[in-house]
Amino acid sequence: MLKKGDLILFGVIIIIIASAFLISNLSHNNSAGKTAEIIHNGKVLRTFDLNSITKSEDITIDDKYHNIIRVEQGRIRFLESTCPDQICVKTGWLTSNGDIAVCLPNQAIIKITGKADNVDIVA
Amino acid sequence: MNKTRRITILAAFVSLAIVLSILESSIQIPIPIAGVKLGLANIVTILVIITFGYKDAFIVVTLRCILVSVLSGSGLSIFLFSIAGGLLSTLVMSLLYAFLRKNLSILGISIAGSIAHNIGQITVACIWLNTFLVLTYLPVLLVSGVVAGIIVGIISKIVSDSMQKIKILKG
Repeated sequence: MLKKGDLILFGVIIIIIASAFLISNLSHNNSAGKTAEIIHNGKVLRTFDLNSITKSEDITIDDKYHNIIRVEQGRIRFLESTCPDQICVKTGWLTSNGDIAVCLPNQAIIKITGKADNVDIVA
Repeated sequence: MNKTRRITILAAFVSLAIVLSILESSIQIPIPIAGVKLGLANIVTILVIITFGYKDAFIVVTLRCILVSVLSGSGLSIFLFSIAGGLLSTLVMSLLYAFLRKNLSILGISIAGSIAHNIGQITVACIWLNTFLVLTYLPVLLVSGVVAGIIVGIISKIVSDSMQKIKILKG
């Protein structure tokens, strides 16, 4: 069933996947700070220093659909959404740097970065 | 093949693709990322490329995306993702089938098509969300594309072999 060209194709695919993982690992930030960003339509709406939050807070985004985002100490999530696929809510809590949740229908993204005390050493 | 027969079989393929798409949305995959799915409707795309050629494959894919979107009421964004993924994967599979058929099996073509599907979707997602942040999902989507491509490829091979036997396309 398999032909010679398949092996070449599989080799190319494995290289592409390996480099995709490598690049995403390199860009992953492991600093101690924990900043959450709420992004809507490419613009950052709010940022939170998750380590210094004491009370939980709900942020709403009203666009095509209605998102409720809950921010607590050390974590953030889409709590409720009126979008049809509910993928954003199912993603659950984001707790560590690099975590990301997306509500495609409502063009909303939440993510955690290590920005809080991130020093740029590559400069 | 006469015209009526061709239209009838293509219509059956479109409805099969729609049923597979809708059926698939009831299969729960425990990975909450848009785009991680089997893409069973790609079986139909591959069969149409093999039996009718690329032009009809583009028509079938476009009709499927429009009709699934209307029937499931999933909204504009989901439609844009499925049509972008569907057309890019059809383009890649058609080109591979046209030029590299001797060297590539249906399985290989199917895997390439699945990956192209996910790349098309993530490109539209970047434009739609106005940010490159979603590229974080690319590695996961590539792996899921390979898995989906293998499953779809095996089924397509079995069905296409059976279709040769029953000679439904002759006459």
